[in-house]
Amino acid sequence: MLDITLGQYYPGNSFIHRLDPRTKILTTLLLIVAVFLANTAIGYGALCAMVLFIIAVSGLPFMLVLKSVKPLLFIIVLTLALHALMGQGEHVLWQWKFIKVTEEGLRLGVQMAMRLILLLMISSILTFTTSPIVLTDGIEALLRPFRVIGVPAHELAMMMTIALRFIPTLMEETDRIIKAQTARGADFDSGNLLVKAKNMLPILVPLFISAFRRADDLAIAMEARCYRGGEGRTRMHQLAYRAGDVMAFVFAFVMIGLLAFLRWGLL
Amino acid sequence: MDPVIETKGLTHVYIDADNNQVTALGGIEMQIEPGEFVAIIGANGSGKSTLARHFNALLLPTEGNVRVHGLDTLEEDNLWKIRQNTGMVFQNPDNQIVAAVVEEDVAFGPENIGVPAEELKQRVEDALRAVDMLEYREHAPHLLSGGQKQRVAIAGTLALGSDCIVLDEPTAMLDPKGRKEILNTMRKLNKEQHITVVYITHFMTEAMQADRVIVMSEGKIAFQGTPKEVFSRVDELETLGLEAPLAAKFAFELRKSGAKIPDGIITNEELADALSSR
Amino acid sequence: MSMKLEHVSYTYMPGTPYEKEALKDISLEINKGEFVAVIGHTGSGKSTLVQNLNGLLHPTKGTASLDGVDLAGKTKEAKQARGRIGMVFQYPEHQLFAETVYEDVAFGPKNLGLGQEEVDARVKDAMKFVGLDFETYAQRSPFSLSGGQMRRAAIAGVVAMNPDYLILDEPSAGLDPGSRNAVFAEIMALYKKRGIAIIMVTHSMEEAAKYAKRMLVINKGQIVFDGKPGEIFLKEKKRLLEVGMDVPEVYKLAEALRAKGLRLPNDITDAKLLLAEVKRRKGLK
Repeated sequence: MLDITLGQYYPGNSFIHRLDPRTKILTTLLLIVAVFLANTAIGYGALCAMVLFIIAVSGLPFMLVLKSVKPLLFIIVLTLALHALMGQGEHVLWQWKFIKVTEEGLRLGVQMAMRLILLLMISSILTFTTSPIVLTDGIEALLRPFRVIGVPAHELAMMMTIALRFIPTLMEETDRIIKAQTARGADFDSGNLLVKAKNMLPILVPLFISAFRRADDLAIAMEARCYRGGEGRTRMHQLAYRAGDVMAFVFAFVMIGLLAFLRWGLL
Repeated sequence: MDPVIETKGLTHVYIDADNNQVTALGGIEMQIEPGEFVAIIGANGSGKSTLARHFNALLLPTEGNVRVHGLDTLEEDNLWKIRQNTGMVFQNPDNQIVAAVVEEDVAFGPENIGVPAEELKQRVEDALRAVDMLEYREHAPHLLSGGQKQRVAIAGTLALGSDCIVLDEPTAMLDPKGRKEILNTMRKLNKEQHITVVYITHFMTEAMQADRVIVMSEGKIAFQGTPKEVFSRVDELETLGLEAPLAAKFAFELRKSGAKIPDGIITNEELADALSSR
Repeated sequence: MSMKLEHVSYTYMPGTPYEKEALKDISLEINKGEFVAVIGHTGSGKSTLVQNLNGLLHPTKGTASLDGVDLAGKTKEAKQARGRIGMVFQYPEHQLFAETVYEDVAFGPKNLGLGQEEVDARVKDAMKFVGLDFETYAQRSPFSLSGGQMRRAAIAGVVAMNPDYLILDEPSAGLDPGSRNAVFAEIMALYKKRGIAIIMVTHSMEEAAKYAKRMLVINKGQIVFDGKPGEIFLKEKKRLLEVGMDVPEVYKLAEALRAKGLRLPNDITDAKLLLAEVKRRKGLK
């Protein structure tokens, strides 16, 4: 019994959840730009307030979003430490032999760390509030204009859809094969790397064969259901921008404007 | 009315992995009439799956021809029309569902032929209702039971607008409950919506529910008829690796021992009646 | 010599929203030489039960043991004990992996650390049991075989481990009636010759009635009935139907005949007996 939820979709029905996926992808990109514009304490303060505001609107538990920082925590701490310890600058706060902590270095380190944390949190809000399927639709729709220059938008989206559909099935299958070979005394834990790799064959070979058989079956089933690529296809769920989407875009541009103002002043 | 499916001298020859010529189908002549419920039975490797794939132009005849709704499968222009009119359901419920949400999967076929969004929604809803799966429209397919997955696959063909559904061993991988679900669904669609059903199976109990049974052996039609006619041929079925129902076997044995029992007994009740009226 | 479950409960994904109690306080003993059928609808817990029996899953509560050795243990003894229980999964042909039938069947015996000669003997023996001619098939790729042959090669891979207890999960799934009978003929030959225990999960009442000497009916993670198939089918039809099971055709036929006034004994569990009885009543030879 395996039940994996793909990605990290957190079901809900908030304003953010209901936004068009294209809006969410594009505003996420805009907000990322905003993060890169920030260079003052006030700017970062404004961004933090914004992230808290979005989380509040989305109804996601704050700790859940914060956890998305965890995988990169090491890099964040390292960034902070490197900038702080190796920093250049006049105002030395603390010094021990050749290691010195300067105010400028510390400031840069904190900025960098904040930047990473904000980026992770903003992009995780996107994946928390958008199911992978809807996300795929959004990506396909956004890539569609680029078909003229040869971007296979439909094919990419179809691949993602099928992957989403089959990953749970193949996980179950892997589990079953591992059990079957274990029951025949297979040992997947001992030995050096080479031995271990060789011991994986009794799992990998059946898994590949099964994946190919499934792919073959699926191709025939798709053909039987009149699939012939993206040409002339319609979609049941048409994406449509609503009033909320306009508000989201206005919000994102206001944030960019604000951060640009804080950085350059009135031009 | 013209037959829904008609084959004339349908022969299918292929080259196997060891470079041998294999005749999977050798001159099949058959007709399936509108509204019929036809079961095709036969041992593994008797050619019944190959035959099914010809009904949908997934395979093309080496010799002879197949007409579906009067359209020759060899004509390339007919391809999509044929596949639209004749839906297919395959054996493995896991390998024919494309999308990660039930209703999206049902919509897959009609999306491919360019049905406009509004009509599409209606079609998907109707199709899911017809197979009694409407309440699962937003579920993930991998969490459904085998029988439910197969009903989603059936809904997929209905949404495409098919008036003939070919099912290739749809219950082989299901448990008894799932098997009943599928058979009942198909009988209901056949009765209420006059869908023509071609039902390939190796469960004789399922074939007994059909209007007509075709028995395949080594790429040929061995014999065919009503379930009564077919399942009375107890010893012939056995030599083909198939099995007659118990009541038919009993009737056969009792006849051999000299009992006067009428022909065509295949159910327990019929046998009981025949024995009590003596 | 026996395998034992003592107050076994098993919970999937404990502590998550997907938590599901699949087995509830099950106690069971199966002796060497028994042929046990396990029936129950999908999701009743029968697959979880057999996986606990052979140590692939370890009980959340209670213990599973073989001759007193806890199967959940990490000791050499526990590993050895697990090695004495063979398991043929559903669609076992999907686990074939080696380049030749020989290599695939030899996989288990090699994992047991046997010498080349012994492995050789085991493979030959196992292939013979499942009716695959050694000369013809040993050096062929398992993937070039027919469906029924692949199934038999996969079963041979488990038989070659010389298990004292053999668990089969729906060995006949997806086969036509002819191949089904062939697979069972081999299983019965193995059972009779080696005197091992066979535990078979099945959806088919006919198979349970025809082959097993003992039957476990599982529902909602508990054992509803444990006894001789004939007795359960005769006496518990109502309850069986309630838990989504059925009785074999011969019981239904006997009932239909009785309903039409044919006087038949009440304990008919076998088609041959029923036929003989009907003939006798009707004065036929």
